[in-house]
Amino acid sequence: MFIELLLNGLTIGGIYALIAVGYTMVYGVIQLINFAHGEIYMLGAFFALTFLTALHLPFYAAFGLAMLLGALCGVLLDIIAYRPLRNSPRLAALITAIGMSIFLQNLAMIIWGSRPLPFPQNDLPAYFKQPALTVGGAPVSWLQLFIFIITILLMIGLYLIIHKTNTGKAMRAVAQNKTMAALVGVNVNRIITVTFALAGSLGAAAGILVGAYYNSVYPTMGYVAGVKAFAAAVLGGIGSVPGAMLGGVILGVAEAFGAGYISSLYRDGISYAVLIAVIVLIPAGLFGKLSRETKKSL
Amino acid sequence: MVETGRRKFDKSASLKLAALAVALVLPILPFTSEYLIHVCILIFLYMVLALGLNVVPGFNGLLDLGYVGFYGIGAYTAGLLTVNFGLSYWLIMPLAAINGAIWGVLLGAPTLRLTGDYFAIVTFGFSELVVLVITNEIWLTRGPLGLPGIEPVSIDFSWFGGPVWYLEGDTPGVYYLILAMVLLTLFVMTRVQNSRLGRAWFAIRDDELAAVSCGVNLLRYKVIAFAISAAFGALGGSFYARWVSVLSPTDFAFWESFLVLCMIVLGGLGNIWGVLIGATALVSLGEILRVVLPLVGLPMNVRFLFYGLIMVLTMRLRPAGLLPIPAVAERMRIVGARRKKPVAKVFNK
Repeated sequence: MFIELLLNGLTIGGIYALIAVGYTMVYGVIQLINFAHGEIYMLGAFFALTFLTALHLPFYAAFGLAMLLGALCGVLLDIIAYRPLRNSPRLAALITAIGMSIFLQNLAMIIWGSRPLPFPQNDLPAYFKQPALTVGGAPVSWLQLFIFIITILLMIGLYLIIHKTNTGKAMRAVAQNKTMAALVGVNVNRIITVTFALAGSLGAAAGILVGAYYNSVYPTMGYVAGVKAFAAAVLGGIGSVPGAMLGGVILGVAEAFGAGYISSLYRDGISYAVLIAVIVLIPAGLFGKLSRETKKSL
Repeated sequence: MVETGRRKFDKSASLKLAALAVALVLPILPFTSEYLIHVCILIFLYMVLALGLNVVPGFNGLLDLGYVGFYGIGAYTAGLLTVNFGLSYWLIMPLAAINGAIWGVLLGAPTLRLTGDYFAIVTFGFSELVVLVITNEIWLTRGPLGLPGIEPVSIDFSWFGGPVWYLEGDTPGVYYLILAMVLLTLFVMTRVQNSRLGRAWFAIRDDELAAVSCGVNLLRYKVIAFAISAAFGALGGSFYARWVSVLSPTDFAFWESFLVLCMIVLGGLGNIWGVLIGATALVSLGEILRVVLPLVGLPMNVRFLFYGLIMVLTMRLRPAGLLPIPAVAERMRIVGARRKKPVAKVFNK
């Protein structure tokens, strides 16, 4: 049981980490909690589902296309909703973010219906269901292994983009100081767009993986997952990408153990409790640096 | 729009009096149907809720996404006290409000030190936890089965031989009860906003740094605001419990918080008269959509699409709402000045 819970927790934790990274990156560059990020995750799952069922694309193609569309959604979200409010007070941007989240959720409800849709199992690669290996007596399916590998590959890719490319360097610069970045010739708006695109594609990827793992896609799935991933981002220290990755994994494992050993009814409650406890006790999170504003208020 | 101590019979005051007069005579007019009374009760209930919520985002400039948690606490407090102990509503009403306020203090005291966005997410987590507890503690709340059989409000004269009046369903009795609660809330809000407390809140909302420099204890005033807001949320909940007589955890989903928030955003953050207009407008819109959506073959829940859109458009086009308060309007319009410093050092090396 222990090993199974651990494996399950790591799988889900990796997915949370993918979403959490999106929150943290956007927060890093524009200091906004992008509440609609969970909706991009949900849309990603629906896009992949549609590609599989309506167009009968192979799974990997659907995965890639859905990620691209997720990136596009992230960019559009920024351009349509957030960019006009860039210089407004935070309250206005936050309210817009919540409004967009609710709007997208209901848009999905109109397009795909409010009932959970099954992920077309027949269109998934056939080997997904077979056991790949056993760890300490617990079988690991190929799907679980696939989720692990994809998550790790995406994380490595993200690390390389942030640390080894000029765009990544510009992103870090914008996150540190927008004005100075602009002064040395960084196109701040372009960098913000790139950030939203990266966050959106990772979120969409997470949505597809969850859809395949739980075999169910529904319009409100983004809202719970979004809050959990946000809890992961806060746990890791908002603004810190490695923190968000670690936070996601910790939260996933904590949730799996909590559901297994304490009470499965309070599975979601564990994330909320962690969220509140972290914010109250260590608002900077594990790796984060407190903003000057927050520090002042403590 | 803020009323001054001097009573001037200007246009807006006579407008308010006219609205009150219409509200008072509405149930006895010949053309009034039960449905109209139902909608009015709903509007008044949301007025109480929206006025209560307004204290936090409107008066203090803090986003509260967990208001429905207090609404749920109030409703279940009232429901459980009625079902298990058969207490009178006149006793339950203050008890529910006090219980709401207690939870407000318990949640607010540790978390209100944080900046706005952290606070928003904590309140959200809190309201989700409330729903989880209501759903899962079946021994207490009967969970997803719902809590049925909550007696309606009664006015009891039997202790000196008089009759017992039950205020139930969509009747004028319930209508006047909730109207009285709106007036009570309105009275408290107008008095508070012109008091020392209100001035401290507005100072916090408009400029925290300046407020601290003038000796305003930020945490204390914010906790008071949060507690008052929670108390009115719970008050609304207690009425809701006795009105619908069946409670279920799904009544207290995040949607409700969002709806109430949308009302005050549309009406005008911080403007109590705007909040009343927002509540009226959105409840009416909800009733219109209830008819229109099935006609185009969409489920009822999709109405939130419009609420989301209203919220986004309000922030874009008229960020201080339909009836803006000058201070809020100015703050919402500030360009570039407020966030010039980098807030976090990101992407650790």
